[in-house]
Amino acid sequence: MLSNDAKILQLEAATRRRFLCDAGLSLGGVALASLLGGASSSLADGDGVPSTGGFKPQHHFAPRAKSVIFIHCAGAPPQHDLFDLKPALDRYNGQPCPDEYLKGEKFAFIKGHPTLLASPFKFAHFGRSGMELSTLLPGMGSIADELTLLRGMKTDQFNHAPAQLLMHTGEARFGHPSMGAWLSYGLGSATAQLPSFVVLVSGDKTPDAGKSVWGSGFLPGQFQGVQCRTVGESVLYLDDPRGTTRASRRAALDAMRDLNAMSPFADASTRARVEQFEMAYRMQMSVPEATALSSESAETLALYGATPGAASFANNCLLARRLVERGVRFVQLFDWGWDAHGTGPNDDLLHQLPKKCLETDRPSAGLVLDLKRRGLLDETLVIWGGEFGRTPMVEYRNGVKTFIGRDHHPHCFSMWMAGGGVKKGLVYGATDELGYFATEGIVHVQDLQATILALLGFDHERLTYRHAGLDQRLTGVTKPSRVVHEIMA
Amino acid sequence: MRYGAALLGLLLAMAMLIRDDVSGARAPGAQGTHAVDFDAEVLPILAENCFRCHGGVRELSGLSLIYRDRAVQPAKSGVAAVVPFDAHASEMVRRINAVGGPKQMPPATNALSSHDRALLARWIDEGAVWEKPWALQEVRPQEQPRVRGASWMRVELDAFVLAEFEKQGIEPAQEADRATLARRLSLDLTGLPPEPLEVASFLADTRADAYEREVDRLLASPHYGERFARVWLDLARYADTQGYEKDLPRTNWLWRDWVIDAINADMPYDAFTTRLLAGDLLENAADMDRVATGFHRNTLTNTEGGTDNEEFRMAAVMDRVSTTWQAWMGTTFQCAQCHGHPYEPYSHREYYEFLAFFNQSADADADDDAPILKVESPAHGATSALVMAELPAAQARTTSVLLRGSFLAPGDTVTASTPSMLPTMDASLPRNRLGLARWLFDPRHPLTARVAANRQWETLFGRGIIETSEDFSLHPQIPGLLDHLASRLRALQFSMKAFTRELVLSATYRQSSIGSETSLARDPANRFFSRAIKRRLEAETVRDAALAVGGILTRTMHGPPVMPAQPAGVWATVYNGEDWKTSEGAAATRRSIYTYWKRTSPHPQMLALDAPSRETCVVRRTQTSTPSAALATFNDPALVGAARGLARRVLVHGARDLRAHAARMFHAALAREASPRELDRIIAFIEAERLRFASDTVARAAFLGEDAARAPDADESEYAALASGANLILNLDEFLTTK
Repeated sequence: MLSNDAKILQLEAATRRRFLCDAGLSLGGVALASLLGGASSSLADGDGVPSTGGFKPQHHFAPRAKSVIFIHCAGAPPQHDLFDLKPALDRYNGQPCPDEYLKGEKFAFIKGHPTLLASPFKFAHFGRSGMELSTLLPGMGSIADELTLLRGMKTDQFNHAPAQLLMHTGEARFGHPSMGAWLSYGLGSATAQLPSFVVLVSGDKTPDAGKSVWGSGFLPGQFQGVQCRTVGESVLYLDDPRGTTRASRRAALDAMRDLNAMSPFADASTRARVEQFEMAYRMQMSVPEATALSSESAETLALYGATPGAASFANNCLLARRLVERGVRFVQLFDWGWDAHGTGPNDDLLHQLPKKCLETDRPSAGLVLDLKRRGLLDETLVIWGGEFGRTPMVEYRNGVKTFIGRDHHPHCFSMWMAGGGVKKGLVYGATDELGYFATEGIVHVQDLQATILALLGFDHERLTYRHAGLDQRLTGVTKPSRVVHEIMA
Repeated sequence: MRYGAALLGLLLAMAMLIRDDVSGARAPGAQGTHAVDFDAEVLPILAENCFRCHGGVRELSGLSLIYRDRAVQPAKSGVAAVVPFDAHASEMVRRINAVGGPKQMPPATNALSSHDRALLARWIDEGAVWEKPWALQEVRPQEQPRVRGASWMRVELDAFVLAEFEKQGIEPAQEADRATLARRLSLDLTGLPPEPLEVASFLADTRADAYEREVDRLLASPHYGERFARVWLDLARYADTQGYEKDLPRTNWLWRDWVIDAINADMPYDAFTTRLLAGDLLENAADMDRVATGFHRNTLTNTEGGTDNEEFRMAAVMDRVSTTWQAWMGTTFQCAQCHGHPYEPYSHREYYEFLAFFNQSADADADDDAPILKVESPAHGATSALVMAELPAAQARTTSVLLRGSFLAPGDTVTASTPSMLPTMDASLPRNRLGLARWLFDPRHPLTARVAANRQWETLFGRGIIETSEDFSLHPQIPGLLDHLASRLRALQFSMKAFTRELVLSATYRQSSIGSETSLARDPANRFFSRAIKRRLEAETVRDAALAVGGILTRTMHGPPVMPAQPAGVWATVYNGEDWKTSEGAAATRRSIYTYWKRTSPHPQMLALDAPSRETCVVRRTQTSTPSAALATFNDPALVGAARGLARRVLVHGARDLRAHAARMFHAALAREASPRELDRIIAFIEAERLRFASDTVARAAFLGEDAARAPDADESEYAALASGANLILNLDEFLTTK
C-alpha cells in the first residue's frame, strides 16, 4: 500500500499533492489509499497523470532487471517434444494412459481412453550444463548455458483464453490489468520518446483472449500496452494525415499549445494534455526510428533471421531488443500457431511444430545472444513459454490418425528465462515419469508472476492498487504466491 | 467471572446486532466524550489492519472480525478477541497493546497507533457495538441543514453542499456564463455539443426560466436516451460479439435500442430494472419486455473448441450475479464466490443463495446463443434478440455452494434467498428474478436508490458523491447529501428525468469550473464540488462532438451496428474469418453508440480514449491523458474529415474573410467567442497553411481527399487551410473537455 501512495504521490501534479497536505489527511490507510488509488477518476479534476519520462520507480528492493521481454507462444508448445524428455513415453507409446492419472480428469478434445505418445523427436544435451532439449531447438541449445529452464510450471486453466488471461493478468476472468500494465504502473517509463509497454504480435492472429492480455483492466488506461507493428502504420494513428508535413504539424502543435495556454479554462490538466500531444509528436519520430530494422547490420539481421519489411517473429525479436535498448520497460511478444492438436498439417506435431520451431528457435536464441553482446542481458529478463502444457497422450481428432497432436494440459509445462538476475544453465523443477504432473520445483503461474516482479524489484504483495475496496495485485488477493528464490542468480 | 461478563456481553451483543440505528440508545462514552462510532471510527481500523488475516477470506487462529458474533466467541486459543464492556478481558486489546513483544497484533512494524489502540479499548468498554456499515443502514430522511448564504441555493440539494462549504470556509464558484452552461448542458444531457443557433437562442432568451426551458428542451431530445444508454451499455457489458477466443458475431442490438427508447420515454427506474432483470416473468410479457432481458444475455459465450459448456454457463451466471450487485448495489459481491467476502458482511453461502435466482435460466453457453426471440422490427425487418427464459419446472436446476468457486466442487445445496444483512425478501414475492427485482425496490432496501442517485450524480458532475461508485464501503464526503438525493429519487417515483432535472437546476451544477480563491485553497482536489469539474469528454462523445461540429454527424437512431473506418489490420481474431467492412456514406458518421463493438478488438479510437472492452460490467471509466489518445484524435482520417466539414460549414457564409471564418469555426466548436489574441494566433497558422497549400497543390489535393469535390464556392487553398485550422481547433483542450 505504501508503494501505491508513494507512486501516486510521485506521479501526480502539484495541485493534487498540495491537496493532500492541505486537507491534513489523518485518515486511516484504507481511506487514504482509496482516495489515492481508487480515485483515478479524480485525475479528471485538473491532473492528467504524466505517463512517461523522468519517473523514478519506487522499488521495494534492489532490482535485478530493468526491463522484460516476454515471448508468449500462444496456443501452448508441447513440452514433451521440446523441453522435457520422457523415455517412459517411448516404452509405453501407444498404450493406454494408466487409470490413476485420469481420475477426475477432463480433456478439451481427447475422447475415450487416451493413449500415451512418445515424442517423435530426438533430444540432445547442450552446453556445459548439459541441458537436455529437443533437436528441434539447436538455437536454444546454443544458449543453454544462459537459460533457467522451468520444467515444473503449472496452471489452473486448460482453455486458451482463460489460461492466457491467468498468465498475463493473474486472473482467469476479464477485467484485470496485465503484467506489463502493472510494471508500467510500478516502473513508469525510462523514456519520454516511447511508451513503457509495447506489444508485438506475429503469426497473423492476436491471442485468443484478445487485447485484454495487454489491457490495463482497472488500472488507468495509460498503462495499457501499445501495439507496435512491423508492417503498415507501426503504431495506430501514428501517421500524419495526408497532405500535412512534419513542419505543418509542428506549426499546428505550436499554435495548439499557445491557444491552450490562452484559454480561460486552462489548468494543470491542460498542461498535461499539451505534454501528451508533444509526446505523441516525439513518438512519430522515435517509433519509426526504433522500428527501422533496415538500419541493423547484415550480421545482426542474420543472427535473428530477420527480414526488414516483413511481419515475422524474427523481426519482432529484433524489434524487442531495439525497444528495450531505447528504454521500453516491458515488451510483450505473442506468436500464434502453437496449438498442435493434430487436426491437419497446420496444427500437428510432425509438420506444424517443426515449422514453428524453425520460425522461432533462431530468433529467440539470437535475441539472447544479441542482448548479451551488447551488455543488456544482465538487465533484461527474457521469458519464453505458453499458457499451459500439452498432454503426454496423443490426440487424434475425430479418430483420424493421419496427423498426431496433443491436447491441452494444465498440470505441468515448461518455460525458460534468461538474463535479468536468473541463474545460468539451470534446470529447475521436474515432472513425473510420464510428464503428467509436476513433482518438484513446482512453479504456479502466479509464482512466476511473483518472481518476475521480484526480479524487477517489487514485492508482489506490496505493488498494489486500490480498486473495488481491495488492494488489488497482479498475483491476486486471496492465494499466497511464492517467489522462486532458487532460480535467482 | 470473566465468562459471566462474556456471556452477558454476548446476550447484549445479540440484542444490539439487530439494531439498525446509529442514533439509538448507546452507553455514553467512558470519559464523557462522544460514544465511539463503530462504522466511522472502528471499522476502518479493522479493515486496514485486521481483515487481511482475520476477515472473510482468511480466518487465522479461527478468528474473523467481520461479524460480531464471531469476534465475541472464543477463537482456537479458547479466548475471545472481544469481550464486550471489558477491554481488559479482551484478547484483542491485550494483543494490540503488546507492542514490541512476540504477541503483538498486527505483527512486526504494523503496530497500531496509541490513538487507535485507545479507541478500540474504549469501543469495547462501551459494549463493542457493531452497527451495520453505513451503506447497509436504511436511507434516512434528511433535514435540510441550516445555512447562512441561503440566497445562493436554487434547489434543496444545494443546502447540503453549501453547509459543507460553510463548514470548510469555502466560497462557491460563480455561476458559469450562459454559453458555457449551454455547452455543458448539451454535452451532459445529450452527449453532443450545442449547435451555434441553439446557443444563440439560449443567450437571447430573457425569460426568467430560460435555463429551465433549455434543460427541458434537452431532456426531451432523443439524443438524451443515446447519451445515458452509454452508461448502461458499459454496465451491461453490451457488445456485438460473443467474446472469448472466436469472438463470433452476435445480434442483440434490439436490446441496445430498447435501452435508448426506455430512457427517452423516462421509464421509471423500478420498471426499467424489472424489465432488465425479469421482463420475461412479467404477466403477459410483451416481446419488448423479453428483449429488455437481453441485459443479462450480454454475458460472454465461449465457443472455443473443447470448452465445458457447464463451466462457462456457470461463469455467465456468476457474471450476472456480479453485474447485478455492481449495477444496482455498488458492491463487489463476486469476492464471495470463492470464500466469505473479505471485508463486507456477506458469506460464501449467501453468494450461492443469491446465485440461485439466476441459475434457472434456459441459456447454456450454446454456440447459437439460444434462447433467441425472433422479432419483426418496423424499421429493420426480421431480426432477433437474445432473451432470458426460465427452464420448465421439471428441468429446474439444483444450486449448490461451489467450493473455491469451482463448478467441479459442489457443496451444500441452497435455495434462492437474499443476504441476511439486507432487508428480508417479502414473503409475497416469488423466489425468482421477478421477486428479486421487486426486492431491490423494497423501501427498506438501503442500496438501490443510493447507488442510482450516486451514479446519476457521477455522470453529470464528473465524480460520484461516493467516488468509488463500484464500492460503497467508504463514507460520503458530504454528510446527508446522498441520503437526501436517494430520498428525492424515491419521492420522484424513480423518474430519472425529473431527478436529472433537479440535479442540473442546482446552483452546485451551475458553478463555473474556475473556482473561488477559497475553493482552490481549501478544496484543491474539489472533494466538495466547490467548482465544476472540468473533464475530458467520454470516448464516444469526443468523436460524436467532432462529427457534429463538422456538420457531418448522421443523427439516424437505432438499428444494426455500423463500421466506421478503422486502421487496416486491426481485426485478427483466431478461428474467426470476420472482416471489418467499412461502412459507406452516412452510415460511416453515425453516433458512436452504433459502432460495431467487438470484444477482443474494440474500435481502437474508443480504446485509446478509455472505453472498456465490454467483457465485464464497468461502473466507472477512468480517464487518462496519453499520447495514444492524442494520436487518435489528431491524426484519425475520419476526424480530419470532420475538420473539413467544419471548414465547409463556415465557407457557405461566403464572405472571403479568413478571420471571420476562423471566428465562426472557433465559436461552433467551443460555444464562445475567440478573443482577438486567440484569433490572431489561429489566423497566423491558417495563413501559413494557405500559403503552403497554394504552393503545394499535391499536398492540398491529398489533404482534401475525396472532399475536394465538395468544396464550396471558395478558393481550394483557403478551404484546405481552414480545414487544417479546424483540425487544430477540434484538438484543443477546451474542445476535448467539458468546462
